[in-house]
Amino acid sequence: MLQPKRTKYRKAQKGRIHGNAKGGASLNFGAYGLKAITPGRITARQIEAARRTITRHMRRQGRIWIRIFPDIPVSTKPAEVRQGKGKGTPEYWIARVKRGRIIFELDGVTEVIARRAFELASAKLPNQTKFVQRAGN
Amino acid sequence: MVEAVTVSVEVRERTGKGAARAQRRAGRIPAVIYGDKQDPITISVDDRELTKLFHSPRFFTQIFELNLDGEKHQVLARDLQVHPVTDGPLHVDFMRFNQETRIVLLIPATFINDELSPGLKRGGVLNIVRREVELLCSPLNIPGELVFDLEGLDIGDAIHIGATELPEDVATTTDRDFTVATISAPTLMPSDEEEAEPEEGEEGMDGEEGVDGEVVSEDTAIPDPSDDGANSND
Repeated sequence: MLQPKRTKYRKAQKGRIHGNAKGGASLNFGAYGLKAITPGRITARQIEAARRTITRHMRRQGRIWIRIFPDIPVSTKPAEVRQGKGKGTPEYWIARVKRGRIIFELDGVTEVIARRAFELASAKLPNQTKFVQRAGN
Repeated sequence: MVEAVTVSVEVRERTGKGAARAQRRAGRIPAVIYGDKQDPITISVDDRELTKLFHSPRFFTQIFELNLDGEKHQVLARDLQVHPVTDGPLHVDFMRFNQETRIVLLIPATFINDELSPGLKRGGVLNIVRREVELLCSPLNIPGELVFDLEGLDIGDAIHIGATELPEDVATTTDRDFTVATISAPTLMPSDEEEAEPEEGEEGMDGEEGVDGEVVSEDTAIPDPSDDGANSND
């Protein structure tokens, strides 16, 4: 799973996801892409599950690019612990994904395969997504 | 030379975001004509007409003839702003030119004979490094596309800009013989191993990262959620 090698601070504030993506909203590498149309937090596990689904559907063809990185630690409190006594321990990593952000890109496969792969991958993600492709493809 | 496409446009009297948004609500996309040492003109284009045009890969290499109240402007589209979510057009820049104008344009690269490439036959992927090549040329002599032949290329081979012959009066913006595409091996599919021992594969990965975290910084490593001892907050 994706996670940073090192971080400046161990815990992060919760934050909110406002507005549309300022960058990473257009295809940069592949011919097809999966774009988030609702905001959401995508965990490293979800990215990995979606990536596996795509790679398995492509069956040794094509190339995949992951355009998001889960660099925000999320902490949770253990079960049956009273409130207070400080912030919980970091448990998993998330990427904050704004509307319009390209999550995955694909190339080297047909449009039919790419569409189906992204449809399967989208089911693993919390955001609503749409399929995008480069002009002329 | 590519035939000019005629587009009818209207003058936009008001500028600013309020007026631009009003135009978009009315189904017209704000645009501007500038260049050739004349004053810029703020215009608007029909949304549906523009949407049809900009879905073509040749949108930026196509000469447009803008019909502005009977006055004709020969222009090139130099910039297009799109909405990050809907991918609909928000604003277009059109640039006038003359006979002496030399501009830098991104010309689409196309690849032929992929069935004659042993690398692609063996499951390799055409990794396009530059889908568009930056060329310096006259607007009156814009190459439609740059064609690259994939015949005989194997996995690990690269195609450079020198592999294609550029038309006369057209030059690249750098002297380097840069790479346009490579034939690379497909994305490694670890599914065979994963399907055999899916859980072990994941744990192994976490373990490695945990070790990395300890070496670089103790802060980053997030313990395995199944490890109850690490979750204790008391």
